[in-house]
Amino acid sequence: MTLQQPALTATAALARPARRKGKGRRDRGRLFQEIGMLAPAVALLTVFLIVPFLLSFWTAMTNQPLVPRPTPVRFIGLINFLRIFRDDLFWTSLWNVSRFTFWILPVQCGLAFATALLLHQKLPLRNFFRGLFFLPAITSMVVVCVIWGTLFQYPTGPLNQVIGFLSGGLIQPIDWLGDPNWAMFSIVLLSAWQAYGFQMIVYLAGLQGIPDELYDAAKIDGANAFQRFWHVTMPGLRPTHVFVLVITTIQAFKLYTQVAILTQGGPKSSTETVVHYMVRAGFEEQKLGLASAVSVILFLIVLVIALLQRQLLRRFDV
Amino acid sequence: MGNRLLSMLMASAVLGGIAEAKTVIHVMHQGDPGWVSTYGEVAKRFEAANPDVDIELIYAPHDAYNEKFSAAVMSKQLPDVMELDAPFLANYVWSGYLQPIKPLIDQDIVGDMTASNIAQGTYPVDKELYAVGLTDSSVVLYGNRKYLEAIGARIPKGVDDAWTREEFEGYLQKLSKLEGVKWPIDTFRGYGIKTEWITYAYGPILQSAGCDLIDRKTWKSTGTLDSDACVDALTMMQKWVKNGWVVPQSSGTNQFFAEGHPAALALGGHWFYAEAAASMKDDIVVMPLPKFGPKGASPNGTWIWGITTASEHPDIAGKFVSFMLKDKQLREHAKETSGYPGLKSFAADSPLYAAGGPMAVAFEQASTTAVARPPHPAYPTITSAFMGAVDEIFNGGDVKAALTAAAEKIDEDIEENDGYPPFDEQQ
Repeated sequence: MTLQQPALTATAALARPARRKGKGRRDRGRLFQEIGMLAPAVALLTVFLIVPFLLSFWTAMTNQPLVPRPTPVRFIGLINFLRIFRDDLFWTSLWNVSRFTFWILPVQCGLAFATALLLHQKLPLRNFFRGLFFLPAITSMVVVCVIWGTLFQYPTGPLNQVIGFLSGGLIQPIDWLGDPNWAMFSIVLLSAWQAYGFQMIVYLAGLQGIPDELYDAAKIDGANAFQRFWHVTMPGLRPTHVFVLVITTIQAFKLYTQVAILTQGGPKSSTETVVHYMVRAGFEEQKLGLASAVSVILFLIVLVIALLQRQLLRRFDV
Repeated sequence: MGNRLLSMLMASAVLGGIAEAKTVIHVMHQGDPGWVSTYGEVAKRFEAANPDVDIELIYAPHDAYNEKFSAAVMSKQLPDVMELDAPFLANYVWSGYLQPIKPLIDQDIVGDMTASNIAQGTYPVDKELYAVGLTDSSVVLYGNRKYLEAIGARIPKGVDDAWTREEFEGYLQKLSKLEGVKWPIDTFRGYGIKTEWITYAYGPILQSAGCDLIDRKTWKSTGTLDSDACVDALTMMQKWVKNGWVVPQSSGTNQFFAEGHPAALALGGHWFYAEAAASMKDDIVVMPLPKFGPKGASPNGTWIWGITTASEHPDIAGKFVSFMLKDKQLREHAKETSGYPGLKSFAADSPLYAAGGPMAVAFEQASTTAVARPPHPAYPTITSAFMGAVDEIFNGGDVKAALTAAAEKIDEDIEENDGYPPFDEQQ
């Protein structure tokens, strides 16, 4: 072995450059091919994502107004960031979005997972029900908000009437969207209902990706239904779980439409979100610089959370 | 919005290509469905009378109007004619979007304008007229006659003997205990928390109480909006809400005339009359806004028409504005929706607002207690900051802290724009 080793290395050393040369020519050809195929995507990403992102970094450090004004645009350094960090409303909005995320993750993903498991069974009319459950997800969020806004009406809206009837009048009508203690929870309810269809489809795909042989083998080994779920389904869905979790978190942090339509951030700023705060700064107060600073902060927050989640889930051997 | 701009872009591209003979006038406006279709018909009639002109209407909902307008500015898609909310006029003129309208419209219209209408269209720096409207506006206190009689309330005859603060709060208290009354008053929180209504309707309560949104000489908000008088006035309103006297935001805007008449009073705009009177008939009483201090105050100003500096055909744009303001069917629709006259000829034709008419009190307010919203280019920030403070306060927040934060936000904006010259020199 000790004798053979150098010989081997030598042969390898001799062979390698030659092989590299031959491969290099092929590589270069392939490289051009690859660059050629990458180019459209890279160009589009650069023009529509990377450049605007760098621009927003720059804008964040100026007092750029939304529309041209007679007063000059100045470089003001980090003043916009300081102003945001000093504004209680920003911290409230960050806290609200965290609250929203904390609620929506179990509610929406749980609902999606449960329906996916149900619809993965061999039920009659399975495809019909799959379509039915997916219906809210393809309905415009704006439409859903208007409908739920009516359901939520206080004190005589349908939801309150149903609750009053079921509880025999014990539960007083709830001001779903007008009570600072309830407003965010109401938004969670309708958001989860609207959006869980997407996660459900992802889970269904994940479930279909688990080979039947594994279940058959588990059955032969004498595993009961719960054991099959815990030891075959769950491990098989790990990548799906990660994907769903990350996507849902990022979406949750971008909460805007529901708030803009139903509560405009109120009551008492209880549903103010970071994106809504940003839009208000940019469009209502017409401070594009300030709004850009918010967007930069939001980007960093989402980036950190996504990285943390990856690390955390990797530690759990996912 | 994107779609609208896009379709506008495409429309102008297509029309620009084929119809060189036709002049296209873009008209940006807001309004409920009734007004939208009325404008559509006016445009058709104008096109029939002027075959070489094409009127392109661009609709934007009024709660996001300023935002949509900014988007149009950014994409260099300014319309020729635009409807604008009067308090935003100073901002638009200061930013250079509007041109003086007097030379562009029929001169008999200029002579026909009421003083309040001229005031809402005039830019305070150069005293030029930049916009003109058929209508103006006001807010009154509507009452349910049966409830008011039941508590023995005094019914004011004119603006001079409006209810005082003590009377008003006493009646609210009594009404809250009256059978059938679920809420003593609707202040139309149902319009939302991000709506001009808040500054428009609640601002006069501050002015009547002896303070304001901003000092109109020094243009500083700190020391005015967070003064004791303002804190006291909004603490009073907070108390109404806390006591359950005010219709909550999520209960809609029809509780005054809804079945069973759950709300006894309504602090509502003049436009509310048509709908309420249709349902309540003789049970509706129109009263002046209460006095919250030594003098009364009421709002004014509405959506008026201006011509932008981007217009390539300002003369034709002016012709369209004149045509629209004189259009009979448009005036008819304005009357149906209890439109508040801003032109004398329209006032003469509106028995609703004439002496002895049911809304005479509202018209009387225009010349006695009306206070315009601050004509300053910082108005978008002023109103946005005040809306935020009111939401905080109505939901139990600290009044002084909320008003201080709003005042600081306003002053910060003015500082950031170097005082919006030349407003920094006006004393």
